[in-house]
Amino acid sequence: MKSYHDMGGDPAGRVTPDKPGDPIFDQPWHKRVLGLTVAGGAMGKWSIDTSRFWRETLPKSDYQSFTYYEKWLAALTNLFVANGFLSRGEIANGAYDGPQQPLYKKALKAREVQQMLATGSKASRPATAQPAFSLGQIVKTKQPSDTMLQKPGHTRLPYYAAGKTGTILFYHGHHVLPNSNAHFLGEHPEPLYSVEFSSIELWSHTEGRGDSVIVDCWESYLEAVP
Amino acid sequence: MLRFGMPHDHHDDHAHSLLPPEPALRVRALETLLVRKGLVDPAAIDAIIDQYEHHIGPHIGASLIARAWNDPEFKKQLVNNTDGILADMGFGGRQGEHIVVVENTPACHNLVVCTLCSCYPWPVLGVPPAWYKSDAYRSRAVSEPRAVLSEFGIIIPQDQKIRVWDSTAEIRYLVLPMQPKASFGLDQADLVGWVSRNSMIGAGLPQAPTANRPVDL
Repeated sequence: MKSYHDMGGDPAGRVTPDKPGDPIFDQPWHKRVLGLTVAGGAMGKWSIDTSRFWRETLPKSDYQSFTYYEKWLAALTNLFVANGFLSRGEIANGAYDGPQQPLYKKALKAREVQQMLATGSKASRPATAQPAFSLGQIVKTKQPSDTMLQKPGHTRLPYYAAGKTGTILFYHGHHVLPNSNAHFLGEHPEPLYSVEFSSIELWSHTEGRGDSVIVDCWESYLEAVP
Repeated sequence: MLRFGMPHDHHDDHAHSLLPPEPALRVRALETLLVRKGLVDPAAIDAIIDQYEHHIGPHIGASLIARAWNDPEFKKQLVNNTDGILADMGFGGRQGEHIVVVENTPACHNLVVCTLCSCYPWPVLGVPPAWYKSDAYRSRAVSEPRAVLSEFGIIIPQDQKIRVWDSTAEIRYLVLPMQPKASFGLDQADLVGWVSRNSMIGAGLPQAPTANRPVDL
């Protein structure tokens, strides 16, 4: 079943482009959410895959009514609670009764910020096997639910590209598999490919016959076409 | 083995629903708790914001594109050895660990989206704009890119195909736009002003700098 975060191809209204002079952050609190989210991630307790899973499994009413940074804030709050750093009582009361705590040893320090952002965190891993598919090969995608390692689970295969036939365009080496990593089931690196799908294959109505969509797919999302 | 419970379907089970209703108060409540418990250093939050407000932004991507237009050898390296050249220049990092440069040609226009969330090449373009994160863009960019582009004032001719890149993995896509003929012969410093942020996503075309269009648009 298609989840509400998986919205590629859904009918929707017009896109509103930005205007000259629009600020980087619409509201001052947006900046704090970004900072807290980056600093929370830097503690190393959860991965970007886990963060994405917790954002996309927010209650539907919240996911659909929250703005971008509200989704980040909600998922971050829940991750801190689920990891035992904050209690529900503390969140409900907006207070922590104990003394000011010393800085947690893995907390991000101000002097580390520039280096941390400039380094990032690579998703590539040494290849442990030859890729099963070659450039130009025709492949077919599975159903998103068939790629999940638990239910409900995380996958990066969008519904609109499920069960579709495409062509391997790039091979990117082995990358961490979000389907397992999001749930603390290990990184299980797999070959990652860019797969090109003709718009005619994906949509009942297409605007341009030569148009295409490229989706990055892990090897376990794909099967060979005989 | 799961280290902690799953997110739940019931709204009241979610700790975030216990926060104050007003978003600005919600984030202040969370930050106050995290600081009191020693989990975040407020100076680190300030430093992150400073990086994205004043240092990391589309001027970085624009400088790469302008140089690629003017220097065929650099362009070749930018396209074929992207991560290597960005690391050498000190421009890699968070949410841009694996960047692929896709080049617009008279035969192909490239457009970048993330339908599942809002993945974006932060180290070269900075904070994503609101429209990129909107449900409307995430929904329609893959199925009707030409209609979406027309809402940006861009008409792509039928004989130019459109490739839409859905950022479903940790690969981040940067569009290398075609250099406008009117800018041929300019030096790199003057070309930077022609490279708009949106043109590096594929939702804009390079254009002559004007007083009311800052580099970041």
